Amino acid sequence: MKLLEYQAKKILSENGIPIPEGRLIEKKSDLADIAFPSVLKAQIPVGGRGKAGAVRVARDKAEAEAITAELFAANVKGFAINTLLAESAVNIEKEIYICCLNDKENNRPMVIASKEGGVDIEQLANESPEKIIRKRIDPLVGLMEFDIRDLAASLAIPCDKAFIAVVNGLWSILRSQDATLVEINPLAITDTGLMALDGKIILDDNGAFRSNGRLTEIQSDQKDRIIKEKSEPERLAETYDISYVLLDGDIGIIADGAGTGMLTLDLVKDLGGKPANFCEMGGKAAAEAAEQAMEIVLANPNVKSLLISLIGGLTRMDQVAEGIDAYLKKNGCRLPVSVRMCGTKAEEGARILSPHGIEAKADLFETAKMAVQYGGR
Amino acid sequence: MAILIDQNTRILVQGITGNVGSFQTRIMKEYGSNIVAGVTPGKGGQNVDGIPVYNLVAEAVREHRIDAAISFVPAPFAKNAALEILAAGIPFLVLTTEGIPENDIIDIVRYAELTGNRVLGPDTPGLISPGKCKLGVHPHQMLKEGPVGIVSKSGSLSYEVGRVLTDAGIGQTSVVGIGGGPVWGTTHEEVLKEFENDPETKAIVLLGEVGGKLEHHAAKFIKSHMTKPVVAMIVGRSAPEGAQMGHAGAIVEGEEGTAASKLKALKQAGAHTATTPHEIVEILQRIGV
Repeated sequence: MKLLEYQAKKILSENGIPIPEGRLIEKKSDLADIAFPSVLKAQIPVGGRGKAGAVRVARDKAEAEAITAELFAANVKGFAINTLLAESAVNIEKEIYICCLNDKENNRPMVIASKEGGVDIEQLANESPEKIIRKRIDPLVGLMEFDIRDLAASLAIPCDKAFIAVVNGLWSILRSQDATLVEINPLAITDTGLMALDGKIILDDNGAFRSNGRLTEIQSDQKDRIIKEKSEPERLAETYDISYVLLDGDIGIIADGAGTGMLTLDLVKDLGGKPANFCEMGGKAAAEAAEQAMEIVLANPNVKSLLISLIGGLTRMDQVAEGIDAYLKKNGCRLPVSVRMCGTKAEEGARILSPHGIEAKADLFETAKMAVQYGGR
Repeated sequence: MAILIDQNTRILVQGITGNVGSFQTRIMKEYGSNIVAGVTPGKGGQNVDGIPVYNLVAEAVREHRIDAAISFVPAPFAKNAALEILAAGIPFLVLTTEGIPENDIIDIVRYAELTGNRVLGPDTPGLISPGKCKLGVHPHQMLKEGPVGIVSKSGSLSYEVGRVLTDAGIGQTSVVGIGGGPVWGTTHEEVLKEFENDPETKAIVLLGEVGGKLEHHAAKFIKSHMTKPVVAMIVGRSAPEGAQMGHAGAIVEGEEGTAASKLKALKQAGAHTATTPHEIVEILQRIGV
């Protein structure tokens, strides 16, 4: 889960990393007691907010009110804005970049840093890779003092207590609090010391079981602040926790595995069809997941033909068929359904579907062809 | 021969008394896998289908020689269980568990490296050497013994392709699932190395998907080390940028993660590339497998 800036900063602060004084602005009256000049930052889960005009400086209250009104009416990268973080401006001497993450290339935690902070780090890495410092850390040894001294030397800054605290704080958030990425960009050297002017944290959803409810808390706290238009199938998929990606075509697709799902999508496209979505039921209980997947995919009004692609590894085909059967009995179906079924109990599955006029086939390519033809009608 | 496991492999099942563990143990045993012991803390002294259950891996290895283990332990307990296997010196662990926290996987993989043992997974269906040994959850009726090695990120895709090969009369030496990522204990590249060294494997089918750089590394290895033909298929050619296609690792981020760039790299490395399972069969037949 990606945290909003104020949530990330709260965690940074709890871990001994200094952050600017700030408060959340949810309505005009919240501006009453802030100090000026003040930086007003839209709390939306996207990068490049500065360039998009979602981070602004206000010199006085009148200006702050105008900016707030403007931002609350704006839409940035698909997100409506209803919360700002107002922070006191600081005197910046220098800005650096620092980040802890798990590097999937080497299966190791890594500290990434650069003397040039406050910039788009991916762009910097592409244009001037020599300006990026990468330090791999052995997860079973942990971050050592010499690692931090090495980092400070590479950044050409003093390895003082404040810097050691920042790096240790980042490491602790990554490793002990189940983050997969924790980034400060920029980390400012100010006249009052080091300060995290922006913060980005991604927490591992798989760590929820040991977060003592923290993940749920953060999620409910950001729920009403992240406002993005969601389609009905996307909303249902989130509720049922089924993997779903909305696309712009008209052939609905349901698969029982990620790999076969992607293959089915590719085949449909190769055959001249346009997939309406990607949907994978995964390892959930077969009958229930199948019924839910039908509901999700058919909630998209653009779907003209439905293709269900089942390989039946761990899942039993009779159970999936029961789910499809249950959906069709309850809701009927406005469009042609093509089913590919093989593996465990495929014959039983086919028998369950035949009263609906569905003839399950064993070959994926043939079934996809059929679904594309139906879609073209 | 086959890679990594065969009829002589002595297996330990971790989490043998759970729903999935006991169910899959029975199927593996019926298939002919030589399962010698199981472990579930607190269930020591019981047996599952005649297989003795121990409280600790250390107890099991005192009583049996064990070559490989498969874990069905749920995610919250998976790290401790995996480290227990590795600490006991079992050289090969298949980690089927999905949803293990990323930091835990990083620790497991690092500890495996330090102890000189191998982890396959996590989030993998495991592997099977048809006709010899099954150390996983594959629908084995779709597979048969033969000369082609399959390595795949996705389980379902390896069943899909295995089935089409089997129907066309082309069997497999081993079918290996490396998992959906984004962290892998064993990569395509390492499995290719095993197939290259296996005298019975005549050709390899490499199945990849969008996201990450694993297939690019495999391409480099093919170019520099592989003498056997490799037929590659990458799914997710139509995946939009930034969307997660089911697997945790299957997200197109940047040019290198796209199916097109992976296919290009594999082709340049000398691999044959296919877009459908049927095309894989045609290529294998054309090159005389």
